[in-house]
Amino acid sequence: MTKRPSLFSLVLALPLLVWQLAFFLFPLIFLVAISFWTVKMFQMQPDLNFGNWQRILTRGIFWDAYLHTMILAASASALTSAIAFPASYAISFKLSETAKRWLIFVLIIPFFTSYLVRVYSWQVFLTDAGIINTALGYIGLGPFAMLNNNFGTLVGMITLCLPLVILLQTFSLNFVNRDLIEAAHNLRCGRLRTVFAVIVPSARVGLVIAALFAFILSFGDFVSPLYLGGGNPPTLSIMITDITKSGQQWPRAAVVAIMMIATLMTVALGAITYAYKERGK
Amino acid sequence: MTSSPIVKFDNVVKKFGDFTAVEKADFEIGRGEFLAIMGSSGCGKTTTLRMLAGLEDPTSGNIYLDGERVNGRATWDRDTPMVWQSLALFPFLTVQENVEFSLKMRGVAKAERAERARKWLDKMQITEFANRNIAQLSGGQRQRVALARALVTEPKILLLDEPLSALDAHLKVRMQAVLSNLQKDLGITFVYVTHSMSEAFSMADRVVIMSRGRIEQIGTPVEIYREPRNRFVAEFLGSANIFEATVEEEIAEGWKVIHEEGRAIIPASELPDAKTGDKITFIVSAENMQLSAPDSEQDGIEATVAGDEFVGGTAMIFLETASGKELKVQKSHEELSTLKRKAGSKLIVSWSAEHCHVLPDE
Repeated sequence: MTKRPSLFSLVLALPLLVWQLAFFLFPLIFLVAISFWTVKMFQMQPDLNFGNWQRILTRGIFWDAYLHTMILAASASALTSAIAFPASYAISFKLSETAKRWLIFVLIIPFFTSYLVRVYSWQVFLTDAGIINTALGYIGLGPFAMLNNNFGTLVGMITLCLPLVILLQTFSLNFVNRDLIEAAHNLRCGRLRTVFAVIVPSARVGLVIAALFAFILSFGDFVSPLYLGGGNPPTLSIMITDITKSGQQWPRAAVVAIMMIATLMTVALGAITYAYKERGK
Repeated sequence: MTSSPIVKFDNVVKKFGDFTAVEKADFEIGRGEFLAIMGSSGCGKTTTLRMLAGLEDPTSGNIYLDGERVNGRATWDRDTPMVWQSLALFPFLTVQENVEFSLKMRGVAKAERAERARKWLDKMQITEFANRNIAQLSGGQRQRVALARALVTEPKILLLDEPLSALDAHLKVRMQAVLSNLQKDLGITFVYVTHSMSEAFSMADRVVIMSRGRIEQIGTPVEIYREPRNRFVAEFLGSANIFEATVEEEIAEGWKVIHEEGRAIIPASELPDAKTGDKITFIVSAENMQLSAPDSEQDGIEATVAGDEFVGGTAMIFLETASGKELKVQKSHEELSTLKRKAGSKLIVSWSAEHCHVLPDE
């Protein structure tokens, strides 16, 4: 027997529903709609013009940017997860409860500052005459090009994602059943091997979701690719601003945006399916 | 097979900060023995087991496993597989992968791993679930997986930490039989930690009773039941009436003593070197107590019925004497049928001298 939602719960849900309709669904429908509009004399006109789609999807430059963005986001996600894991492991397994609480607090502090400010401050470190290259110069190394390339972009993306990924990983590691770890040790599995054989699979859902967040944030990021990566080759988000600036081509920008949303949806769905996949029949 | 013990605890102490979890554990476990360590929570029984498994290190004293001192040796370098209270099965592995786990860690080749795992799945009658996910098994099936996983390396000793406490009563009894038979078949040592007297007494060859970190008594279930060493054990068993008494004089049948509620006779064999004025504690088991009507000629203690408890084919009657001492009497329903016993009615409680047992450590 299915229970009908009461009037009370419907009333409670109403603000959320209105919010979702007004600020997510309608804009999304609008985005899809304008991807078929036509621009004439820098003016958009409602239309059913498939030319925008054809023009974007048949251009090599779009697919180059798409691949470039995918590789950057996937690398940022993998690197952030790898850098975060030892820290999350230490917070979750090696520290006292008090130290744990303080570190979680410390991890929230980066969110107090604007991401843009944090990215700008990286420029001071990464330029050819910056802090890192000057320091390396003293021991006869460098200078290394760390700005206006993929390295710079990835530094920025990791800056963006690292605190969040450590928090998500720490929370998922906190839920790993301690008995499983002892049982593994008891069954002849040494410390390091237990990390990969028991702890990572036990925390899989949380670790995958953390990596997914890093991917999503990096995939749509505009700041790091522009200010640390130099914007060339463009990522998809840079491409959107370029298209809108050149000849008011909002419809074509909408096509790129829809492709980005579709990609994120697919990746998120795939990641969550993988995270919750069960072993055995 | 040698007769040397497989496990020896030599004055083992375990402290966590200021808290002493285990105080001077000093005992041996024989080869092929089923030993139960019993006590209420916090008594140090699990810590004792964990020290044997290598999951805790003793603060002082030595632990010998198969003649070798194992202090400081990590659990993965000992052959002391354990079955956890939570079973600790790996939910991300199938049944067979769980059973193969320790073989894989030892670098046993895949084909041999599968074969040895299959053998234990067969033995535990869970072969049909080999490729299942752990989440789809029932409590009893999981129990069998945990046992197969621990036994697949054919160890000389198996450690069990309250493995049955999550099961319902019916399944518990069945699993007790499974464990008991398994231990006899394999002929290996089982060390079984439990808070349940029925589990310990029904399966174990010997029982260790612990309280607040100390070992109170070690013995066979019958020894412990008939001859508890001290007040703690007698109270823990739950079915004994405990009396404090002073030795008065020797008579033909034994020693005459004065206790809180009157006089009693203790057989001479129970008090080998007593003298007048000695303080003793003796017990009489609830099933050895007699109840008679108040108008009968029976000599005994007058007490008021406070209530009763149904225990299968018998009833446990709780009575209170004039001075407020509680007495327990366990009788079959037939024996009780002739007796008027409502709450508040007065009855005579008595026992014969041969059922008195003096606690040696009190």
